[in-house]
This record gives sequence, structure tokens and C-alpha cells, in this order.
Amino acid sequence: MTLAPETSDLINVEIDGVEMNVPKGTLIIRAAELIGTEVPRFCDHPLLAPVAACRMCLVEIEGNPKPQPACAIELTPGMKVRTQRSSEVAEKAQQGVMEFLLANHPLDCPVCDKGGECPLQNQAMSAGRAESRHDIPKRIFDKPVPINTEILLDRERCVSCARCTRFADQIAGDPKLELLERGAKQQVGVANDEPFDSYFSGNTIQICPVGALTSSSYRFRARPFDLVSTPTTCEHCASGCSLRTDARRGEVTRRLAWHDADVNEDWNCDKGRFAFTYLSQDRINSPMIRENGELRVASWPEALDVAARGLRSAQGSTAVLTGGRLTMEDAYAYAKFARVVLGTDDIDFRARRSSSEEAAFLRASIAGDCGPTYADLDKAPIVLLVAFEPEDESPIVLLRLRAASLRRGLRVVALSPIASRGLEKIAGEWAPIAPGADAGALHALAQGGGDVPNGASIAEALRQPGAVILVGERIADVSGGPSAVAALAAATGARIGWVPRRAGERGALEAGALSGLLPGGRPLDDVHARAQLAQVWGVDAADLPTSVGRDGASIVSAAAAGGLGALVVGGLEPRDAAQPAAMRRALDNAGFVVSLETRRTEVTDRADVVLPVAVVTEKSGTFVDWEGRRRPFARVFGDALMMSDGRVLAMLADVMDSSIGRGDVKSLRNELDSLGPWTGARAVAPSDSAAAEQTGGPLLVTWRLLLDDAALQEGEPNLAGTRRRTVAVVSAATAASLGVAAGQRVTVTGPAGSVSMPVEIGSIVDNAVWLPSNASDCAIASLGVAPGQPVRVSGGAA
Amino acid sequence: MTLGPEIRAEMEQIKQRYPDPRSALLPMLHLVQSVQSEVTTEGMALCADVLSITPAEVAAVATFYTMYKRRPVGKHHIGVCTNTLCGLLGGDAVYAALSERLGVGHDESTPDGKFWLERIECQAACTHAPVMTVDWEFMDQQTPASAIDVIDQLARGEEVRSTRGPVIRNFTATERTLAFPDDGLAGEGPVADELMLAGLRVAQERGMSAPTAGQGN
Repeated sequence: MTLAPETSDLINVEIDGVEMNVPKGTLIIRAAELIGTEVPRFCDHPLLAPVAACRMCLVEIEGNPKPQPACAIELTPGMKVRTQRSSEVAEKAQQGVMEFLLANHPLDCPVCDKGGECPLQNQAMSAGRAESRHDIPKRIFDKPVPINTEILLDRERCVSCARCTRFADQIAGDPKLELLERGAKQQVGVANDEPFDSYFSGNTIQICPVGALTSSSYRFRARPFDLVSTPTTCEHCASGCSLRTDARRGEVTRRLAWHDADVNEDWNCDKGRFAFTYLSQDRINSPMIRENGELRVASWPEALDVAARGLRSAQGSTAVLTGGRLTMEDAYAYAKFARVVLGTDDIDFRARRSSSEEAAFLRASIAGDCGPTYADLDKAPIVLLVAFEPEDESPIVLLRLRAASLRRGLRVVALSPIASRGLEKIAGEWAPIAPGADAGALHALAQGGGDVPNGASIAEALRQPGAVILVGERIADVSGGPSAVAALAAATGARIGWVPRRAGERGALEAGALSGLLPGGRPLDDVHARAQLAQVWGVDAADLPTSVGRDGASIVSAAAAGGLGALVVGGLEPRDAAQPAAMRRALDNAGFVVSLETRRTEVTDRADVVLPVAVVTEKSGTFVDWEGRRRPFARVFGDALMMSDGRVLAMLADVMDSSIGRGDVKSLRNELDSLGPWTGARAVAPSDSAAAEQTGGPLLVTWRLLLDDAALQEGEPNLAGTRRRTVAVVSAATAASLGVAAGQRVTVTGPAGSVSMPVEIGSIVDNAVWLPSNASDCAIASLGVAPGQPVRVSGGAA
Repeated sequence: MTLGPEIRAEMEQIKQRYPDPRSALLPMLHLVQSVQSEVTTEGMALCADVLSITPAEVAAVATFYTMYKRRPVGKHHIGVCTNTLCGLLGGDAVYAALSERLGVGHDESTPDGKFWLERIECQAACTHAPVMTVDWEFMDQQTPASAIDVIDQLARGEEVRSTRGPVIRNFTATERTLAFPDDGLAGEGPVADELMLAGLRVAQERGMSAPTAGQGN
């Protein structure tokens, strides 16, 4: 990194006659910025190592015979620098470089995507000549060349600044984009048959200072000055990236990573950048009610009335299931609606694989607590990854871990049956465990290491101040796992960072959209907590549910068995559930289903009343990232007619002669804030014992890849083109015992079905097989088997 | 010809020579050329695999250095130095004559795959200008006639010796030497001859020495 170094060691320097004190090691270009002088530059990027490739930033240094690149020279005590503002030498040198850069650059700005926001265009105006002295033909190339399905390369526009190649190598850790050839032929490129395979590839488009790298889906679609930009937060995962959403004529045209030094720095992942077409696909625009088995369009008053009557008649036998994609404010509205309007504590936001032990863990150890932050990862003596693969499940966490690992050798240990590509990129240590054996290993670490590989040293490192345990939502699949994480933290003093996959989960937890948990981390079974809520909500405390309600799994099984009067469902997909078939049965067999949805889904297909709600671009709100940091975002389309879940629930409450307030974002947020943090006793962490070791096998290991068959990635084929190939991964010994060789097709069979794909030999424990959870050709849910359970693997296709 | 397991084994062997494995890439690419007469995609992928780097990183190196070819060189690589000194002293004429005789231009090979012609950069042999190289062995002080004579002899399959001694083999054999320099051939021919040392002798006779740092004019 080339930001000002963290040091109190100041030196006195002079730039353009201005004396200043800067930290030792500061680059000239950064110091000049401090006095408002922008030295023109292309290759310089504050988060990339200096390379002085473009030569644009030449400045005069007193005592130096030739102009020097400001982006690569560190100031030394007493150094006197003169930039183009005070030095003719510097100005002329910059003009000369600009003339060289333009010698081969095409004059196609009017048709180039970058035109209007192009550093080369801008700096050619400030540091170039009005008329070219070149009358020789320019270098031309075939164009454009795809470097992957998302990115097109126009080589003749490139100024060889190497920002993209350095990003690929230094930040993403995917050095698959390189400068090829030499001299006048020098060009950016990939290996013959290997596209730029990286989850972070889109960042290269954004940092390209010319129009050489452009987005396949955005190409030729808009001019930057026709776009209306809104600062937003990414809705795809719990990393919490700041984005800028650019829209034109009521449609999102592109999304960019926006600078936030505390969270995503200057980067985001390709899912966050490109997966937004779903926003306008298959939308539900009007309320609908089911009549004679068919949904028909209804007016709002009619639909609300039908919904209200259905819910009222089921009073006492209702439940709320929400997905992990809601904003904090909307989740809060559901949490309040359940307790105040429906009078139930049967609510769960975990529309995925989950367990009641996990719920207890979240109530006790995560909700209402400020966990470790990105900055804490930067400083931690050790980061232990438990049931969590950062690159797939929270990519910006991976970038942070990687940066710290490169900068200072941060020790990252993955307690996992498989060493992932992400772990390799952060030079992490692999502590192999059998699938599902997390709990035993965590208890062993709590007691000093046990037989965990390298256990004693890991256990010791966890006891150092600042140690962090990052635990993913997959811990819910390990019985005894969440308890063991809490126990390890208690035994070592390490802090727990819970990193769910979905953007709304942490916010839903803080908003109390989980049975037994009231907003602000308040335990429902605490009388004071209930009293606080009753006061803010303006209800009688006696009317609030007093005993902990059912969690998602119990709600689903009750509904599936026909024992639930009504279900309010918001933003979930049955195929994400632990048992999709059971979820579908629950929706079929529940007495009455109200669905608040943005688009047609398997839920709306089964609902009695469908109430349309806004997507993220049509509302403002807040996501809470894995750190517990609030990430508010603004509405992109101010004239959108859609209402947020909160507003719709407020209207529904009104019709039911109850109230959750106005339900708009501001009042919901203010109300939640007025509650303040919970200062009373916290729930006690669960202490479930570790499950017995599984026998048989191979045992299933699986997680969702970043890019897969998820609903929110629909309609973006260029993004889908960069998905990883579906493979099953086994160890060499397991492959031998199964009689399969690398590349051969295998069929993996569970009680309910089978999938087949090529097999790969990888770093995975014996008697285990890894599969992607939700690839288009590999839907694990169809196997009818939970992770950690045995499956059958046989050679050949099904 | 594909790169079999024995080539991979030899690459592993080359890798052992260096403290940092990726330093082995240059000789490994020569090894690929010694088998395939060019750096193929297959060869780059194998190097990447052996060194645990990406094919793109290999491609960056293989496309940067001009000694790595991405089309088959064929039997003999003919280089003619056309930098300033050699060019002025006849290199340009030598190149033109060869180009006409072979019917190919810079970085092209004859249809029969026997010769690859290339304008090469300075070989640090200006004392013997103009120089030509055949499979990277020196042919000093060439003329258009002598150069064509060399080509004709090679075409007839006759033994040709470098003006400095070694017998000309063929391109892939030289590439093999570049991959494994310890083949005992390094001592072939003179290390330095009178012409190369003439300047040094004069300097010694007159007691001349290079200025030390900081003493410059």
C-alpha cells in the first residue's frame, strides 16, 4: 500500500515552495495531494505498490539531474520538490510523456465507454497539446478481445500502466492477467486458453485509467454524464461493500465499488458489481389474491383486507418466515409485526440451513454485540476460520485477510476438511478435520490443542489479545458446533466474528427477527427487556409473547403437518431451505399464506395473498455487515411506486386494527435507535455436546460458491460465464479407494437423488467429498443429505 | 511431439537448481523448445504447473524474450546482427542476401522447415562484425557470399563448423544445451581471441584504467 505510512516520525520537506511535515516514507505524489496539488498520473493507485510505469507524474527534485516519478519516490528530509505548478521542467516533462502516450492512443473518445470520466482524456486536456504532431499511422490491434466473459479489452487504448495486472497479482491474488510481449507490441493479455478467472475481475475495469478494459454488459450503453449516481450498499453478502449505483432512464446501468477505507477500501467482487439484472426481472407490480386456486390481480385495499381477515382468523396459530436479504428496518418491521400484531414469537430470518443451537448461539454471543471489525483483522495475531470459506462466502473478508497476510504475515488458520483456493491465496494454514468434526476440534483447541494439527500453537495464539475467530453460517450444520465456538472464545478470550452469507442476516438479528430475541439483542424471556419494548411500542407488556417461540425448522415442520393457521413470508426461496421439499409442503399445508415479494417465486406460487414490495433500488434502508456495522443506503429511483416491506406491514397492521407505526424507513430506524443497546443479562450460550463421529462415507463437504445458480444472479450471462467449473473434490487416497481418476465423471448419490460431475484430486481429508452447493448442474438440496453425512460416490455418470 | 513425463521430470530437475523455483522458468522454456522447436501452449501450461504459477505469468515471460518462439523454428536458426556496427560493416547486406536466398523475412521460416531467419540484436561480438549466428553459434566476419555458402552447406547436410570451432548441430540441440548448460560443451572454441583482447592490451601498455565512482568529469 502506498498510503501515508503509520508512523509518528515526521520529516520536513518542501513542495512547490510550501514547507510541510510528512510521515517518513510518504511518496511525493501523496504529499502533493495534501497541499491540493494533483500531479497527473495513470499507473499510481494508493492501494497498489508503486511501479512508475506510465511516467506521467514526473516532477523536479532539487539536486536531481533528471525529472523523477512522484508516484515512486519517497520524500527524504529536506527534499525540495517542484511539480508542474512551479517547475517548467516538470511541466515540459509531463507534456512530453503525454505526447508519447497519445502517439498510439486512438481518437475514439466519442465512442469509448470511458469518455467523460477518463483520466487520459482529462489529463490530455490539462497536460497535453491541442493538436497532435503525429502524422504517422497509429498502432492497431484486433478488437475487442474478451479477457473473460465480463471484460473486453481494446489493446490500442492501453497505456501500459499495469494497474490491472498489479491488481490481479497484488490484491485479488489471481495473477492471470499479465503484460505480454515487449516494446511497441506490449499489451495486456491472458494465457492462450485461460481466461482471467477471478471473483474480483471487474475492479480492473474501474481502475483502468483509459478505456482499454470495458464491461461486456455496460459497453456502449450509456455516457457517464447521462447517469444518475447514488451511493448504495451491496445487497449480495455480509461484506458490506459501499457501491455507487448508476442509473439511466429508470434502469440500473452499472454498479461500481465505492471508496470506504474501513470496509471495502476501493474494491468489490464481481457478484456485487454485475449481478443487478434481477432487480427488474419477473417483478410483481400489483397485489394479488388467490381465487379458485388461481392468483388474480387485486387492489391494495382488497388484498390487504383479504390478508387481514386470513391472519386474524388464524390468530394464535401464526408464524413469520423472512429471508436473509431484508434491510434492518424491514426486518425490524417483521419482528414488531409478529410480536405486536400477530402476538407470536414464532419468527425466524434464517431461510437456509439452520439449527436451534445456532439460534441460541446467535442470541447469546452475536446479537447486540460489537464484534471484531475489518481493522481488527488487520491487527489480529491470528484469525481462525471455522465453517467459513472467505472467498466464496464473504469476498471482501478474503481481500482483507490477504492484504494482512502479505503485509505482515497474518496467521490465518482454516479448521476445515478441505484447503480451499481462497486459503491458498491468503497463505493460510490448513488444520484438517473430518467433515462435521468441528465441535470436537474446537473443544480440543479450548483445552490447549489436543490432536488438532498444530493445535498447541493455534490454541496459544488464540489466547493472545486481538485474536479473532471467524465463524460462518455453516456452523449450524455441525451439531455442538456453535456451542464449541462460544466455549473456545470463552476459554481463550478470542473474539467471535459471525460471517453469514446474506446481507440482511446480521441486521435481522439486531432487529429481533428471531424467536426468543427482541430488537437490540434483548432476550424475550427477560421481563425488563419486554417492558422496554412495550414502552417504545406503546403496547401493554402483558400482550407481548412471554415464552420463546418456535424457530424456522419447527415452524416449517408444524406447517407442513398442517398445524399452522397462517404464515407471513417475506423474501425467501424454498430451494435455499434445509429441506426444500418440507418448505414447499409447509407453504402448501399452512392454513393461509401471505407473501411479501418482489418477484414471482415458489412462495408466491403457493400464497393466498401476494403483496408486492420494493427491491433495494426502490427504497432506502440499512444493511448491517458481518462486523455489526450499519451500512445505510439511499434510494436509487426516487419516483418508484413500490413500497418497502415495512410500509406494507404497517398498512396491513392498520387494516388489522393494530399498529406498528408508519413503517417508513426513518421512523423504523429511529424507533430501533431509541431502544438503545441492551445492558441487561445476556442469554447463556448453548452448551450442546459434540455429535458422535459419522461413520460410512465418503462424508459430504459443501458450500455455496460465490457465483452459482442463485436467484439474485439471474439474467446476467456474462457474470455466469465466470462461474467456476463444477467438480467434485476428493483426496488421492479416496479417489483410489473409489477407483476413479482425476477428470473422470463421478456420480454422488444421497437418499433423495444424485448429481454427477467430473472429479478433481485436491487437498481434502480422506473419506470426504466436496461439492458446490448450488451450481446449475449440482443442486445439493436434491440429494436429501445434510453436510457431514455420508453419500455414495461411484465412477461414471448417473 | 508432446511433452512426456520425462520432460516434466527434467523440469523438476532444473527447478532444483534455484533457491526460488520461478527462476527456473527461463531454462525450462528452452527445454520446451528443445523438444517442440517452439514454446507451445502445452509447454507453457506444463511450466506453470511445475512451478505453481499461472500460465499467464509464464506467457508474460515467454512473450517478452525474443529467444522464445511461438512458431516452430525448424532445423536451423539463422541470426544476422543488424545493429549499428554489424549493419554498417555488412550485416544489412548479409541479411538481404540470406532473405533473398531463403525467400523469407524476419522471424520467418522456410516452408521446408530447414531455416528460420531473424535480424538479431547485438551479440557482443562487434570486434568480428558483421556476425551471423547459426543455432546461436558464432559465424564471424561474414559476407553475403560466405553466409550463403554456410546455408548451402547446411542444406546439403554437410558438416559446418562455427568460425570459432564448434560443430553446428541444430536448433533443438542448442536449446537443450541452454536448458542443461552442464553438457561439457561450454569449453568448445576459444574464450577470447586476439581481436577481442586488442583493446585491453593497448590499455595495459599505456597504463589506462577506468575512472572510479565519483571521479567522473
